[in-house]
Amino acid sequence: MALLTVRNLVMEYDGKAVLQGIDLDLDEGELKVVMGPSGCGKSTLLRCLNRLATPTSGQIIFRGEDITRPDTDVRALRQRIGFVFQNFALYRHLTTLENVTLGLRKLRGMPTNEAVERAKHELRRMNMVEHHHKYPAQLSGGQKQRVAIARALAMDPAVLFFDEPTSALDPLMSREIINVIKQLRRDNVSMLCVTHDLFLARSVGGRVLFLDQGVIRAEGEAAQLFDDHADPRIRAFFSQEARDDNPL
Amino acid sequence: MSFLDILILLATGAGYTVLVTLLCSATGMVVGLAIAMLSRLGWRPLDLLLTLFTYVFRGVPVLVLLFIVFFGLPGIGISVPPLVSMMLSLGLIAGAYLGEVFRGALASVDPSEILAAQAMGMTRLQTLLYIELPQMLRFAVPGMINEFTTVLKYSPFAYTVGIPEVMKQAMALSAATLRGVEIYFAVGLVYFAIYKLLVTLIWALERRYRVPGLTEER
Amino acid sequence: MTFLQQVVDFGPQILAGLGNTLLLATIVTLTGLVGGIGVFYLTLSQSRLCRRLTESYISFFIGTPLIVLLFLMYYGLPQWGLRLSPLAVAVIGFTMNVSAYNARYLMTAYRGLDQDELEAARAQGFSALQVFTLITLPQVLRLSVPALTNQAILNLKDSSVAFLIQYTEFFAQIQDLAIRNFQFFKAYLLAGAVYLAMVSVVVVAARWLERRLVLPG
Repeated sequence: MALLTVRNLVMEYDGKAVLQGIDLDLDEGELKVVMGPSGCGKSTLLRCLNRLATPTSGQIIFRGEDITRPDTDVRALRQRIGFVFQNFALYRHLTTLENVTLGLRKLRGMPTNEAVERAKHELRRMNMVEHHHKYPAQLSGGQKQRVAIARALAMDPAVLFFDEPTSALDPLMSREIINVIKQLRRDNVSMLCVTHDLFLARSVGGRVLFLDQGVIRAEGEAAQLFDDHADPRIRAFFSQEARDDNPL
Repeated sequence: MSFLDILILLATGAGYTVLVTLLCSATGMVVGLAIAMLSRLGWRPLDLLLTLFTYVFRGVPVLVLLFIVFFGLPGIGISVPPLVSMMLSLGLIAGAYLGEVFRGALASVDPSEILAAQAMGMTRLQTLLYIELPQMLRFAVPGMINEFTTVLKYSPFAYTVGIPEVMKQAMALSAATLRGVEIYFAVGLVYFAIYKLLVTLIWALERRYRVPGLTEER
Repeated sequence: MTFLQQVVDFGPQILAGLGNTLLLATIVTLTGLVGGIGVFYLTLSQSRLCRRLTESYISFFIGTPLIVLLFLMYYGLPQWGLRLSPLAVAVIGFTMNVSAYNARYLMTAYRGLDQDELEAARAQGFSALQVFTLITLPQVLRLSVPALTNQAILNLKDSSVAFLIQYTEFFAQIQDLAIRNFQFFKAYLLAGAVYLAMVSVVVVAARWLERRLVLPG
């Protein structure tokens, strides 16, 4: 069943078309990876989908509801989409546990003890429960990202968005996060992941979309796209990236 | 009369000095926070108004503003009690300075955390209350200490509007005993003691709420 | 007679007051700068005792109101037989106070300095005093330009305190005007506007100075 259907999405910024007619489908429980060179509009796409940015035209159907309509309850929408950032964006003045409970308490109005239970459950899932009293500055990059994922999961979102989840991490920590995404995939969590990390795209499985100059150029299995594609731009991108950051 | 007797007599006025300092600092905090938060909303006409307020209240001497409020306003039919006059002069000026301190501290909040809060579905107000404000207050501690110290140091002006604080006691005592040098030296010591106490208290509070890795150790 | 006419009639006295205000503010800005550099130099002393005493000096003057020092000298000292003019009292009091603040700004700037550079100068064979005057001071002063000009603005505003020790500066003359015509509100409002205008001039001058003096990078 379709979770997210995007049709002819256009986003212009300062008169420049960043996205020029994107079509994208994501089913419930599915994982899709969006790849492309920097400046191709990957991050803008994610930000349009949870309305952090407002698309110029086109349709986004989220669980049967057109969320580009002006009367859309944007904040309710965002609460149903877990967002994981490249630079973790943990709240530095809150402990690990408080980072996860904040949304539950303040946005869901959950009593504190219940929120703590729920948060600890998610932290346990991310293998971070023993660090629950620590502050972000006391965690490694990989640990921070796992807390950020727990924070997103705690809200019981319909889908998780990842925006370059490994690009601020060293190869070893990237591995940590890749394993987490694989585990979530087994748990049938719907995910949309934007990245230029080839190793991530190859390891997590799922279909890969190639976004370039504001349009989706190709879609397919990782192996299909990576190995000697007919389109020269796609071939150039993947051979370049493979040389740049091969973690092995 | 020994020097100790002088100190004890002056200490009776210290209560009013502390009261004036606290009331004016509190006024400054409320005004400063309001300025910083309202300017965060990014509403142009309001921004202009806040900038004007800040400019005027940072440009006029405390004593002049105090005289405008206490001796001037009754002339146009508004009479203001002494303590309120202090709050409307020293307090508002402190507010203008604290507004700048808070604005600077807000700029140190990581924009990606604000974005994350919005992506989570928080309103602008929720983001301000739960993310920006708690961090900003921690960043602003040194600036707040500076401003509270300044308020304490201008608090003797309260004697000009008849509040019986340390300075007023000292003047009466000095006129009666003709031992002005010792008395005013003792006044200096009393203010210094209040200053030390104030600073120590605030740093103790800061330590209580310090978050590792957010602000530098002192 | 309208308020404006009264102000015009009173003009010469007000202008004399303005002159005294500017005189006091200018003197203490200069003496405070020199004093601040002196106190800052002492904080770098090799002797622990000297550093301790200097830091106590700074801390004490930052922690006590200027007006107390002024009253001590103006109302206290005559009882010991030493009578100073209001201007002398104001200059001495402000200088001691402003020096403490300026020294603290310079110390803050000094902490941000590249210590390797000072090490290099010492290694080159410069004496301690040469390192201070040739390397440390020029850099620290430039880094402190915004704080020092800010202090100059404070000096201008705070000079109004001197009227409490009978110095016939601008605010004292306004006081006189107000008492004669009973137009307190208008008179004080005028005073506020004039201070704001004077501060604005200093702000513009300070920005100009900052642009010229602050090192790139």
